[in-house]
Amino acid sequence: MSSNEVVVVTWGLGGEAFAGEVEDILTLGRGVAAATGGDLNWLALGPVSEAIRATAGNYGVANIDHVEDAKLAEFSADAIVASLAQYCEQRSPRVVLFAQGFDVRLIAPRLAAKAGAGVVMNAAAIDVDGDGKLSVTASAYGGDTRVVYEIAADRACVASVLANAVLPEAVDAATSPGVRDVAVDLAAVDERIKVLERPKAEGPRLDAAEIIVSGGRGLGDAANYKLIEELAEALGGLPGASRPIVDDGWVDSSHQVWLTGIITRPGLYLAAGISGASQHMAGCSAAKTIVAINTDSDASIFRYARYGIVGDCLEILPELIRAAKS
Amino acid sequence: MRIVVCVKEVLDPDAVNNYALAGRLEIGDDGKSLTQTAIPRLMNGFDEQALEAALRIKDAGADCSITVVSAGPAPTDILKHAAALGADDVASLEADPTALDSHVIASLLAGYIRTSGGADLVLCGRQASDDDQGVVPALVGEMLDLPIVTIARAVEAGDGGWRVTRVTPDGDEVVEVTGGAVVTISNELGDPRYPTAASKIKARRVKPTVIAVSDLGLSADDSEPRVAFTRQFVPTIQGNCEFISGDSPADLADRLIARLREDSVIQ
Repeated sequence: MSSNEVVVVTWGLGGEAFAGEVEDILTLGRGVAAATGGDLNWLALGPVSEAIRATAGNYGVANIDHVEDAKLAEFSADAIVASLAQYCEQRSPRVVLFAQGFDVRLIAPRLAAKAGAGVVMNAAAIDVDGDGKLSVTASAYGGDTRVVYEIAADRACVASVLANAVLPEAVDAATSPGVRDVAVDLAAVDERIKVLERPKAEGPRLDAAEIIVSGGRGLGDAANYKLIEELAEALGGLPGASRPIVDDGWVDSSHQVWLTGIITRPGLYLAAGISGASQHMAGCSAAKTIVAINTDSDASIFRYARYGIVGDCLEILPELIRAAKS
Repeated sequence: MRIVVCVKEVLDPDAVNNYALAGRLEIGDDGKSLTQTAIPRLMNGFDEQALEAALRIKDAGADCSITVVSAGPAPTDILKHAAALGADDVASLEADPTALDSHVIASLLAGYIRTSGGADLVLCGRQASDDDQGVVPALVGEMLDLPIVTIARAVEAGDGGWRVTRVTPDGDEVVEVTGGAVVTISNELGDPRYPTAASKIKARRVKPTVIAVSDLGLSADDSEPRVAFTRQFVPTIQGNCEFISGDSPADLADRLIARLREDSVIQ
């Protein structure tokens, strides 16, 4: 049987800075907790930094639950899942929230299996009806549709929330939530996956970029991708790409902004020669400002864009490079 | 050695996408299904790539059999396709489609694997292109107590286990597991092969092994859905695009850059 608590889970946030999506999820969680009548708690695996304390206070967190164990020092899915499962056994939260990311895709369903919970990925909204029944609205068909899943009565809900689901909203009066140490026993946990070669991260990451200039098939030819790179450089940003030109081998997959590629949330996303398929928008619609350049004035991308130019990106991009440099 | 590949039948996602881009995607009176009955049904693309991963392991010289299994209503065509591609066995798990969620589907697949001789490797697509959930592989792994390696572009038989290359946001990561594992395959694996004309003709005669749910040894809890799919809708996107007008590409570019500077979006 569940309590009415809502818990937001993070790990690896030991540093002072962390990505903005925690504020989104805390805002969503606060709304759900108000509807279930329980506390909003933040479960931090690993050190509780000043930044975590401050953010928790600004977003209405009742308690920071803290788990510390040597086996959590480096990323270990088995250690994280075991910690979360033990936490759920101890506190029986009604709703467990994650900010969707690469590792969460694995951790969330594994936790749900251990906790007997209902799990929904790609969540965009969570509703609680008058009887306390939980419904999760999730993106489907790459964003073409939304599906509503009702969580079975008496089951906890594990939801992995999309980056652009909610706008962060701090509480009017910040608080100073206390930290509760939660004991877990990871003695029996021995990570089953051995990493032989770690990824060689080169240069700045697309998912952390503040400005992204992306190109698609409208560029016409692989050689024209250099216009994307030049404009990105002139604006102090990074170059991205839609999946079709990655599949065609114009650029490598580290540039792929896509549902199953890199999910970005920049301040500016400039899309040149991209039609705006839902699967592409799933990777960039969290951008604060989207600018689209496309020859087709009916292109789907203009539905998401703040500013649009109807025209040939091969003519516009060189001029944008010039204007950006001036 | 036995490799089990789990596959799902989906509506052709490109066709769905074309309807969506044209603004013609509609939901029927049941509030759940797409009305476009002309959309072809096919094997989920990531699952086809999971089968391709299995076939590549066999091509590389591993002594193995490949079983392709699907849970849900009458997936005969995709199982024949799997046979044409080179699956040694194809199996269909007959289940009531109205009482299926990720948990129940995972229970069926895990129950099948358990009762049919186990698996040294379970391969799945990273997610299905209809619901995009991607949770069944992790649930199957938990039920079988196997390690789960997600989002792979290559799988090789290793020394008493598997060596897997994963596509992470930071680049490729190579990991190793000892013993059995569940591995999910991503599109970076590359295009799957096409069946030959001869193998297609041969596959026409293939009859999937049909397994009744009652033979899978499932508990009441295994068969109890955790979530219910209640509704589907097409989201409305609030367009507020301001089109920049100008006399020439240079003029358009100057105006756009000026607007972005005004808004402090760029410096």
